[in-house]
Amino acid sequence: MSDPVSDPMSGPIAAEQVLALEGVVAGYGRAAPVLRGLSVTVRAGEVVCLVGPNGAGKSTALKVASGLLAPRSGRVMLAGRDVTGLTPQRLLALGLAHVLQGHSVFREMTVAENVRLGGYTVRDQARLDARIEVVKELFPVVAERWGSMAGLLSGGQQKQVEFARALMLEPSVVLLDEPSMGLDPRNTQVVFDQIDLMRRAGVAVLLVEQNARRALEMADVGCVLDLGRVHISGPARELAADPRLGRLYLGGQPAT
Amino acid sequence: MTLLLQGLALGVLTGGLYALLASGLSLYFGVMRVVMVAHPAFLFLAAYLTYTAHTAFGVDPFLALPVTVPLFFALGVAVQRLLVARLAPDNLAMMSVLLTFGLALTIEGLLGTFYTGSYRSVSMDYATRSLTVGGVHLPYDKIIAFSVAALTLAVLFAVLVKSRFGRALRATIQHREAARLVGIPTERVAGYGFGVGLATAAVGGAVLALITPFFPASHWVWIGKLMAVIVVGGLGSVVGAALAAVLLGVVEGVVLVTVDATWATMMFYVFLFLTLLVRPQGFFGGRLAHRF
Repeated sequence: MSDPVSDPMSGPIAAEQVLALEGVVAGYGRAAPVLRGLSVTVRAGEVVCLVGPNGAGKSTALKVASGLLAPRSGRVMLAGRDVTGLTPQRLLALGLAHVLQGHSVFREMTVAENVRLGGYTVRDQARLDARIEVVKELFPVVAERWGSMAGLLSGGQQKQVEFARALMLEPSVVLLDEPSMGLDPRNTQVVFDQIDLMRRAGVAVLLVEQNARRALEMADVGCVLDLGRVHISGPARELAADPRLGRLYLGGQPAT
Repeated sequence: MTLLLQGLALGVLTGGLYALLASGLSLYFGVMRVVMVAHPAFLFLAAYLTYTAHTAFGVDPFLALPVTVPLFFALGVAVQRLLVARLAPDNLAMMSVLLTFGLALTIEGLLGTFYTGSYRSVSMDYATRSLTVGGVHLPYDKIIAFSVAALTLAVLFAVLVKSRFGRALRATIQHREAARLVGIPTERVAGYGFGVGLATAAVGGAVLALITPFFPASHWVWIGKLMAVIVVGGLGSVVGAALAAVLLGVVEGVVLVTVDATWATMMFYVFLFLTLLVRPQGFFGGRLAHRF
């Protein structure tokens, strides 16, 4: 599979560009690629939101960024360093965390075990204990249900456990795949508040959301994906108001 | 009444052994969705090695374990890394049946070549007597088998629940992608999981050598029984398999003394069919099994 795109956006890496996908081509098995030259950049303290129809490659983009899927061509840059093809374990050590779509708690473990596993790669117990106190404060539900089996929690609570687990190692880049999926409005608000907190803490957030209008309202930059490439991108608020977006991708969706 | 008690007591003892023999199968399926048809063949490979250690060197069956357990662990890691890991993920369960069926035949063939087709057994003086409690006879070999099984399972559970490796293994079982994202090397962990499963076969084989005569094709009798145990228990649940093993052991024991041996063996399949009809996800491993 040859690289069809040499992307003009992949210029010199500015210091604050924490995460950059550059001309990424990726797919599963021998099937046609899902991403066909995708380029996205996320800066520190910025929320970049990927929107687009099903199959556009939003989740795949996150999997390439976190090392779950190796790209066929193109590069993944993290803090100015080429990290293409590194394992999730290495990327975690370099400050990247990924919260998967749907429910990804370890269902038959307690909330405590789930959160502690967020620090699996770190042996420094004192550091982990200190971080546990921090995430318990960030997510009161985690503290309240500390001894409960994670699989018995409600969807919103499970999502907060996943956030807490992902934040255990103080990541500088967080990838969030449809964090509000299946949540009621109150829990959705909690999730979006948490994203805002991460942004203020200087974390670079790459967000995928079905709830596009809502996500674009809070994001800094929006990218509309179609067929594995960025179709339209720009300041999120302008994009939310762009009539092309409504016609192309949001027409069938309930505005919230 | 004494007869019933006798059946019950023997059933519990045998059930404990079934729990040990089936625990490896649960691990393979839980960690890797692998249906390991060759597990009983490895059990009897261990039984033959125990036999050789005993007849050639006069080693007690259980004193051979410090050699056979690490050996089987290494074998398990090798089987996973060199063979199972190469199967395509989309039809892993089905292809693993074929692969491990081939392994079982290979082991059976090798055993036939080296040991001939005759029956072998290891008989120890201490295992031939029996203990009588209130008219119920408890053969020492069955008591030893139960004790070894209980001890091995206790160690296995302690490793799974308490150790860092155990947490990594359970995380890999419960959500593989999430496990990779917290930095668990899931491939290596899966290999070790397979190794632990086969290590239980080394212990199980030593016990089998002590309590039953065997020949190279003995394993075929066991695969059906053990598969029934893990389906009734809930595929992939180690605890579920242990509970189902004791349940089926007791049912078998009671039917054996009250009806006959044919029906006793049949009870495994009666329970298998009942489980598939009433609660296909198994009786004890429900929550985990739901995800398949």
